[in-house]
Amino acid sequence: MNNIPVILIVEDENGISNFISAILTSNNYHVIKCQNGKDAVTMAGSYCPDLVLLDLGLPDMDGLEVLSGIRKWSDMPIIVVTARGNEIEKVKALDLGADDYVTKPFGTLELLARIRTAIRHKQKSYNPLETDKIRIGGLVIDIVKRTVTMDGEVVHLTPIEYKILLMLAKNAGKVITLDSICKEIWGPYTNELNALRVNMANIRRKIEANPAEPKYILTEVGVGYRMAEDA
Amino acid sequence: MDSEEKRPDPDLLLKSIGTNENSGRGKLKIFLGYAAGVGKTYAMLDEARELKKSGTDVVVGYVEPHTRPETLQLLEGLPSIPPLTVQYKGIRLKEFDLEKALNRKPEIILVDELAHSNAEGVRNKKRYQDIEELLNAGIDVYTTVNVQHIESLNDVVENITKISVKETIPDYVFDNAELVKLIDIAPEELLRRFEEGKIYRPERAVAAMQNFFTKENLRLLREVALREVAQRISQDNINEYDKTEKTINQRFLVCIGPSPSSAKCIRWTARTAEAFHAPWTVLYVETQDSRSQTEEQQENIRNHFDLAAKLGAQIVTLNGYDISAAVAEYAKLSGITNIVIGKSRKKKSFRNFYEKNLEDKLISKLSNTEIYIIPDNDNVKEYKRPHQVKWQNNFYFSWGDTIKSLAFLIAATLFSLLLRQLDIGEQNIIMVYILSVLIISRFTKGYAYGVISSVISVLAFNFLFVEPYYTFTAIQVGYPVTFLIMLIAALLTSAMMVRIKTQAKLAVERERKTEVLYELNKKLLVTRGLDNIMELANGYITSLYNRSVIFYPEDPQNGNKGVIKKASSDKDISFLNASDEEAVAHWVFVNKKRAGAGTDTLMGAGAFYMPIMSQGNVLGVLGISCASGNKLNHDNRAFLRMIASLVAMALERQHLSDEQRQIMVESEKESMRSNLLRAISHDLRTPLTAISGASSAILENKSTMDEQTHDKLLSDIREDSQWLIRMVENLLSVTRINESSMNVAKTPQAVEEVVPEAVSRIRSKFPGCNIKVKVPDEFLLVPMDATLIEQVIINLLENAIKHSKRSSLIELTVKRLGSLAVFEVSDNGEGIPLQELPNLFEGYSSGKDKNADSSRGMGIGLSICRSIIKAHGGKIEAENKAEGGAVFRFVLPIEGSDINE
Repeated sequence: MNNIPVILIVEDENGISNFISAILTSNNYHVIKCQNGKDAVTMAGSYCPDLVLLDLGLPDMDGLEVLSGIRKWSDMPIIVVTARGNEIEKVKALDLGADDYVTKPFGTLELLARIRTAIRHKQKSYNPLETDKIRIGGLVIDIVKRTVTMDGEVVHLTPIEYKILLMLAKNAGKVITLDSICKEIWGPYTNELNALRVNMANIRRKIEANPAEPKYILTEVGVGYRMAEDA
Repeated sequence: MDSEEKRPDPDLLLKSIGTNENSGRGKLKIFLGYAAGVGKTYAMLDEARELKKSGTDVVVGYVEPHTRPETLQLLEGLPSIPPLTVQYKGIRLKEFDLEKALNRKPEIILVDELAHSNAEGVRNKKRYQDIEELLNAGIDVYTTVNVQHIESLNDVVENITKISVKETIPDYVFDNAELVKLIDIAPEELLRRFEEGKIYRPERAVAAMQNFFTKENLRLLREVALREVAQRISQDNINEYDKTEKTINQRFLVCIGPSPSSAKCIRWTARTAEAFHAPWTVLYVETQDSRSQTEEQQENIRNHFDLAAKLGAQIVTLNGYDISAAVAEYAKLSGITNIVIGKSRKKKSFRNFYEKNLEDKLISKLSNTEIYIIPDNDNVKEYKRPHQVKWQNNFYFSWGDTIKSLAFLIAATLFSLLLRQLDIGEQNIIMVYILSVLIISRFTKGYAYGVISSVISVLAFNFLFVEPYYTFTAIQVGYPVTFLIMLIAALLTSAMMVRIKTQAKLAVERERKTEVLYELNKKLLVTRGLDNIMELANGYITSLYNRSVIFYPEDPQNGNKGVIKKASSDKDISFLNASDEEAVAHWVFVNKKRAGAGTDTLMGAGAFYMPIMSQGNVLGVLGISCASGNKLNHDNRAFLRMIASLVAMALERQHLSDEQRQIMVESEKESMRSNLLRAISHDLRTPLTAISGASSAILENKSTMDEQTHDKLLSDIREDSQWLIRMVENLLSVTRINESSMNVAKTPQAVEEVVPEAVSRIRSKFPGCNIKVKVPDEFLLVPMDATLIEQVIINLLENAIKHSKRSSLIELTVKRLGSLAVFEVSDNGEGIPLQELPNLFEGYSSGKDKNADSSRGMGIGLSICRSIIKAHGGKIEAENKAEGGAVFRFVLPIEGSDINE
């Protein structure tokens, strides 16, 4: 693959977009920049970037509007940049179709990891599930046999636990909101938040060495869960 | 149910009451006449027309339909409210429609016949109560009344006309009227009008003429009316000066009993006290006899109390055996200067031949008090005091007492036989028998056993010990005297015992009441929190009266339900929550008066509602269920009032402490804010200076700088800015705490999800740190703001890392302790300096001799931790471990409780 991925940075603060573009350029991405929502929508249309890094605090319009504007015609990966503590905004963005989010202030390594994951998932979705096994660290999920092993040992999960684990593993590296897990597992008209939490606690006790320091299923408090890509 | 239909619609009621609030009280103008036909209604309507012309919003609320045609002409052109039609026992009655009037809310409303009694099923029993509601709603009212309807003049008028007037208005209604206009015409003129048939229709006129409309009656009534108005005027004049002094000089006390004639005493006292501008008290002494009162007597007493309350008296009930002693004692203690008693001409009977009269006893006990005696009128129907009940009380049969008496008598006889054997004089035998009679009287109830024993003793003595033996004939002359003495001794002892026992019983009862009040007060003193106070009061009332209770701490219209306590005897108490019962409670809140079952207002309700008042404010309303049919008697109500006043005090205290708390929250907020400001101004400046200095050094000296210095400066910039980020995050987290309540929005969060996130954030900031995390095996949900608690954990871990050597172990443990979640961060570092320990969480306020740099980072961090934990209703503390290092511990409530309470 000799074509370099193109990343559109939507950020009104010059200082921040400068350092992000410096990082990305040196990590072999091609960067285009814009500073407001209007330009973002037009540039997304004309350049068709491989990924959009979208700051939600924009001077001319709400970042969420830009997000839903792009989502109307494209499923290009979009990572939103938000402030910490604003869980509601994160959940909204994810519900509107954002692929992931990073929280300000973020580290460079974290940002690069998220960008890689998002681009990879995009490519995967073209030819879905070429394998019948998902491996993450010592965790192996056999989709055909519906079995889970951890470091070679069989883990006994209830059907619901298996469903949750599978959903997270298929989206490894991406954050899945609590709401979308609930809807997927229990259907759209129930609110089984506590049931989800209890199930999650049980899964952790079965697959994590120390549930207090999980390696596989990470919690994004107030937002959802994220399966680590490699543990 | 019949009564159900008649009950007023609660929604309408609520709506009408709703409009009452937030307005000043209306003014009452009374058109006073001395007889029907003097032209009160005419004068009222005439004035209304004048007002109408000048643009005032006048509405005719109600005018009697049998009004004279000339008067009816005046009605034309005046807007009026159609009367309410009430079905009562098949008759259609027209009544004033209070709801419509309240909804219409005119400036002035005309309501004829102030003394009218409403038909059953209308909200209030009396029209003056309707008018009071109108006044409370800020509507001015014009009304008419004849002088004979004024309560305190009732008996005076009755004396003149020999016709008793049933419909009366309390004096305070008349006294509180803003204006009284006397409509006066000469009696001759009135009689002429009367003869012309202008007042009554001819067929009724004849009867009226004979009974009432005599020239003499009319003259006297006119005089009464003129006097009343004159007195009102003179009182107004007096009121302007030295009223207070006058009230101190005199205090009236009227003693009442169950006799209907007591009403007369009460009225007399009311008038006299009014003339002297003196306060007055109605006193009822409850004795042993009152326990056996008939239904009619109790009803009389209740009526007297109601009358006294209407006339503005203070009502006191005392317990005592001797009425005169109780009255005298009370009079002395309360500084009574004048005592009024009623007296009927009693025939002297054997029983009370030697008994002194009440007035004599009072005079002998109170030499300085004036005593007025009001004779009982003959026209009151002969009232008999039922005596037989009393006798029954003192003569009854019980096996236990019979055996006791027999045992004592046999013992006395045996002992006497022994004495005779020993030949010890027979005068001693008499003594033994007298002694046994005394003992029997002492240990049995009532008079019966004492008297019978004395008779038996006399007979036994006669039979066994008097010559000739074993006959009932007595030869010696002195023996009848002996018998008589024994009999008298027995009677006296029994009487004394009966009295002592009665007093003991009354004392115990009084004691019990006092004790209940004392206990309640004691418990209220240590009770905190509105819910607990309500629970306590409900519990007491329920157990005292065995009735269900509902307690409204706030007007039910504000959407708050009352707190109900169900009594064991009540089966279904759901009606207490019904909307029409709530409407009654709401009425009580607005009108500050009791209402519901057994009162004059909204008597269709299933419960009796009373306000809990303090300084003119209603702090709550108590509803006591009367569903079982029996209403609360005066005694119960009086006691409830006492309980209510205690509860009022407790509520008041609670309100004060709530206010106090609010003030503390304010000051807490203030100190937090100032801490933050200090931190921002002082703490942020240093790293910012360093960053700008380092970056300009790099830019300006690019060529001369060696790579090592260059990198050093850059890493300094990174460190300082990362510190700044953490600081800003801390500051931002405080904004999540609600400004007004100092609370946070809590949602249940799994501890095992929140803790790892905080730890991973710390790990990414401080790679190489050695943190061990332990969470409980059970799944633990704790209500919290996850972002804030994360911040606290981060701050504590960061603090631990700062104060311990690289890679030394830091432990984070979460435990469950009952209903608390305990979070603990323990390090093996240098520990906390002792002098800093007390003010560790105070932020900068303690750091007098610390230099700014050394405290940088954690001073404000820990103070923010404390603010956050406090806002969660938790606690945070720190201590040094014995083996070195420090422990920071915070506790969060799991079940929504606040552990700072």
